[in-house]
Amino acid sequence: MTTEHITSATDASQEDIITIDKMNKWYGDFHVLKDVSLKVKKGERIVVCGPSGSGKSTMIRCINRLEEFQKGQMFVNGIEMIDDVKNIEAIRKDVGMVFQHFNLFPHLTILENLTIGPIWVQKKPKEEAEATAMKYLERVKIANQALKYPGQLSGGQQQRVAVARSLCMSPEIMLFDEPTSALDPEMVKEVLDVMVELAEEGMTMICVTHEMGFAKKVADRVIFMDGGEIVEENTPDEFFDNPQTDRLQLFLSQVLQH
Amino acid sequence: MTKTTTGAMGTQARVFEPSPAQPAPVTSTGAYAWLRENLFSGWLNSLVTIGVVALLMTLLPPLFNWLFFDANLSGSTQADCTGDGACWVFIKVWLQPLLYGSYPTESLWRVNLSLVLLFGTLASPFWLPKHLRNKVDIAMLLALPFIAIIILDGRLLGLDYVATDYWGGFALNLFLAAASIILGMPLGFLWALGRRSQMPMARSICVILIEFFRGTPVLALFFMGSVMLPLFFPEGTNVDKLLRVWIVLTLFMAGYMAEVYRGGFAAIPQGQYEAADALGLSFWQTTLLVILPQVIKVSMPNILATAVMLFKNTTFLMIIGIFEVLSTAQNALTNSNWLGGFSTEAYLFVAVVYWVCCFSMSSVAAHIERKLDTSHRS
Ligand SMILES: Nc1ncnc2c1ncn2[C@@H]1O[C@H](COP(=O)(O)OP(=O)(O)O)[C@@H](O)[C@H]1O
Ligand SMILES: [Mg+2]
Repeated sequence: MTTEHITSATDASQEDIITIDKMNKWYGDFHVLKDVSLKVKKGERIVVCGPSGSGKSTMIRCINRLEEFQKGQMFVNGIEMIDDVKNIEAIRKDVGMVFQHFNLFPHLTILENLTIGPIWVQKKPKEEAEATAMKYLERVKIANQALKYPGQLSGGQQQRVAVARSLCMSPEIMLFDEPTSALDPEMVKEVLDVMVELAEEGMTMICVTHEMGFAKKVADRVIFMDGGEIVEENTPDEFFDNPQTDRLQLFLSQVLQH
Repeated sequence: MTKTTTGAMGTQARVFEPSPAQPAPVTSTGAYAWLRENLFSGWLNSLVTIGVVALLMTLLPPLFNWLFFDANLSGSTQADCTGDGACWVFIKVWLQPLLYGSYPTESLWRVNLSLVLLFGTLASPFWLPKHLRNKVDIAMLLALPFIAIIILDGRLLGLDYVATDYWGGFALNLFLAAASIILGMPLGFLWALGRRSQMPMARSICVILIEFFRGTPVLALFFMGSVMLPLFFPEGTNVDKLLRVWIVLTLFMAGYMAEVYRGGFAAIPQGQYEAADALGLSFWQTTLLVILPQVIKVSMPNILATAVMLFKNTTFLMIIGIFEVLSTAQNALTNSNWLGGFSTEAYLFVAVVYWVCCFSMSSVAAHIERKLDTSHRS
């Protein structure tokens, strides 16, 4: 992977597609997210990193309401995140998500994994959904596996299918929660390549990842979380070359060691 | 083999001489090796083998004599059973009541038609084209009990009316078991869902239902059914005995199935729900399209065991006076023309018929499991 940075599709004048304002979340007594505020513009690529248990997953899972927060405010694509089925449905329509463990449906073929959303959520005719699905499978270079089951594919292939499954719903925003951490090293690149391609096309992305090469190449901003807070936030160059806080310096020294 | 010769120049040359072919090793393959490995691998093993063979040699000849060589097949009365062996005449004469109860002979085709429909539907995964399978399968299965009732009852079709008092025999065991399994499976799934629900009211109701029907012996349920069920129907309606039994068996099956599904639910990773949520699937879409198929798949062995148990439990119906196969057999044994003590034949017949059915159920399920297996690795 070259380290040459992809120019951003963001336009400074553009409005924010995600606004999170002082979001707080507790698990019982445990304060997981502390006054997290974040603004993301359309087409912007954010990389989130931080030590394990710092609340990265919890934060991005709040954006499509896999988790609820207790205090604060969030708008996604102009829709307020409140406890109302209509809002939640509308937000999930705009937000796709890729998980660490792929979470493909093991009883469905690859093609069926890709069409279940379009057919049942968007009410598309089956033929149309399948045509779209094949298009995305081509893009992640896996079209020849369409009729296989997830269990018959390698981890890297499964994760590419998971990306394609999200794309089939034509989301405005894609969330990635450590998409390469469950993969064998030799499969990491094939998944990152797909993500880079997606970034080049101007998708709004929030990626939790420790792939620093990816962050340098793709990110508009890198966010460092620790102890449930956003500790530091900067452009990739500044973030890696000129970390402001001790906590980030420590973290970077640990991550870059190996 | 090589042999060294001394050449003219005094150098040694090696001359090739083929060695004679060896016989194949005796013990590595073939019947002898198999015997040695499996039956005579040690002195204890050999002793057990010899003991078992001796036991079989003393038991089997008399058994075969009784079952086949000395058995009586021809004739139609007790007097025709003169030999020492089994009196299959008894089974032959009573075959129709044993299989069909007292259903009128001229209408037996209706029972047979219903049986064909039942087995045709159960076998539909094998003959329906794949794209039709799930939807058509489920619809046909759910409609089946009602279609069978309409055919057997006859009134709606303009056929002769056959009251449920005349339904009986092994066919009745099959129908009651099938109808209760077919309706008990989805009902049990609803109860299992209710038990997982966030709503305290729904949850408590489902827990009570499940525990009640699982914890109460089926016989007690039958007796309760005849006393309590009429309370739920409008006063004055006479609730058919078979209908009551069907309801009780269905609820019983549902209770057991709910517990089976619970194990299945526990095997589904949280990530499946999250992926479905992230795609925007609704609760029911997630439940029916993503979770249910996987729950059924992992629960398959337990579902089958429960179905077989329910099928065997239908013989308890004898006690509340329904003429299923076992009570018909007993009835035949007390018939004044057949008092010669044919209980061995009668019970053996019932046992074999049951065994054949249960064994086929297991085989079909094993086949389905193997088919499902390919898609469930991840
Ligand atoms: N369902 C839960 N109940 C209680 N604590 C949780 C739950 N999920 C996560 N946590 C805790 O919240 C913290 C943040 O978790 P997470 O967001 O997964 O961290 P990260 O993704 O940064 O590793 C961790 O300390 C974790 O133990
Ligand atoms: Mg995480």
